Amino acid sequence: MVAAKKPADVRISGGKLPPIALPTNCPGCGVGLDHEELRRHTYVCTSCGHHFRMGADAWIALIADRGTWKERYGDVRSHDLLNWKVPKPYQETLEQLRDEGLNEAVRTGTCSLGGREIWLATFDFRFVGGTLSIVAGERLARGMEQAAASGLPYLLVAASGGARMQEGVLALMQMAKVNAAVGRLDAAGVPYFSVLTDPTFGGTAASLALLGDINIAEPGAAIGFTGPRVIKQATYADLPPGFQSADFQLARGQVDMVVSRPELRRLLAHLLEIYP
Amino acid sequence: MKVHGRRPEETTLTVWQVVELARHPDRPYSLDYIKRMAPDFVEMHGDRISGDDPALIGGVGLWHGRATMFLGHQKGRSLKERVARNWGMMHPEGYRKAVRLAQHAAKFNFPIVSLIDTPGAYPGAGAEERGIASAIAKAIMEWFRIPVPIVAAVIGEGGSGGALGMGVADRVIMLENSIYSVASPEAAASIVWRDNTRKVEAAEQLQLTSRDLLAMGVVEEVVTEPEGSARVDYEATAAALDEALYRHLRPLLAQPTEELLQHRYERFRYIDSLIRAEPHFGPKI
Repeated sequence: MVAAKKPADVRISGGKLPPIALPTNCPGCGVGLDHEELRRHTYVCTSCGHHFRMGADAWIALIADRGTWKERYGDVRSHDLLNWKVPKPYQETLEQLRDEGLNEAVRTGTCSLGGREIWLATFDFRFVGGTLSIVAGERLARGMEQAAASGLPYLLVAASGGARMQEGVLALMQMAKVNAAVGRLDAAGVPYFSVLTDPTFGGTAASLALLGDINIAEPGAAIGFTGPRVIKQATYADLPPGFQSADFQLARGQVDMVVSRPELRRLLAHLLEIYP
Repeated sequence: MKVHGRRPEETTLTVWQVVELARHPDRPYSLDYIKRMAPDFVEMHGDRISGDDPALIGGVGLWHGRATMFLGHQKGRSLKERVARNWGMMHPEGYRKAVRLAQHAAKFNFPIVSLIDTPGAYPGAGAEERGIASAIAKAIMEWFRIPVPIVAAVIGEGGSGGALGMGVADRVIMLENSIYSVASPEAAASIVWRDNTRKVEAAEQLQLTSRDLLAMGVVEEVVTEPEGSARVDYEATAAALDEALYRHLRPLLAQPTEELLQHRYERFRYIDSLIRAEPHFGPKI
């Protein structure tokens, strides 16, 4: 794990990250949090390095060079196709989240990073747990097809509980849909970098998130297929501390590196220089 | 797309009864079908990396006079065999074995038959430690590059990513009393309600029966089972499954490889096109 360092200019694209909901004290070390200071430090605790979860808007602000973000397919919307009623009507869930200003579990578009044009897709865990839905899959697949055709590198930021239950088997099929598109990126020789943040599980981990040419995990991120609660329910096994952590996945060969958020932008800009 | 025999609305079973039939311990398993389809079946083992997964069987046999690669989840009949086969729940080695055998089939230009019958990939610590997520991810991506025809059938339970990892094919069909779902009803109840005893409600919400999937355009055909379900007549069910699979395979054998792979891509790329009622979704691009 790379320790969080003091901010450097390359860290942020220039603009400030948007404010996010934060607790009073750090869940990592208990220290009282200065929200403005935290925001300047890409929402990483300056005393213990705890990485707070960021939504799609914050990730876009972090990754994209200032003023270069062009959102694509933002008008592709989900709706309740299974007439899902319990415990809460799915349509109501969707409308409420939209009223809160969230636009689905994946947002995608183009931007530049360190002057290099890329495709960027970022999950948003606040939208039904960042679950892979038909719209999420459609936005991902369209962007990947465009990247494969144009040769622009593709950058993913993952944060997801898996496939979205409320869209049934069609949500499951998104895993095949996006992996088919990852195959197109692969065949086109287009670099695909995947940043795995806390948490990345289920159908998202078992499809595009772990298929990056380079998989980069955030320190402390939980990454796996089956969540710990379900593993315990199914097997009665006691899981050791750190099970499914970023370092666990690094040790088991699933990710290439664990990189702290203040270092991430510099690393990605560097990688974009190396990969054609 | 069509349903043979009885019309879909003629079923009198509840969703939960279908789930129980799909999981019935007397239901035919993959080997019961494969041994009837290709009596000379030769089983192969191992992922050539670290192990063999008994939850997935694979091997070759002559089927309608043609050398064919058969893959299938196998649940096990006796308690001892169930344990050995891990109730048809694959570990990472299983997905790696499947990809190896698919590539083997491609080398010799054998078509592939995949029979799906799993509650899901194994939700245990060992599977996580050995990379179950990336094993499934890699398998799903590789299926799109296998340059021979693939026909798949859900014969019992099609559970989650564990099933989809074996379910990328040119045609996917289902036996009448089988299910295919984003998660098992128990897992969905546990995720949505944090209460896995609400499985019956979850099953009803999930729309996981063969008829639901046919209506959504996720499978090409539902194969009717004998009166009383597949478990009462292995011979008749195997014959119906054989006929349907071969009928779907035949036109694929004549297709140029490039076209085959393009159609496989489009099959999944636009698999949700039937429900794209929203104008926002826009046209194919």
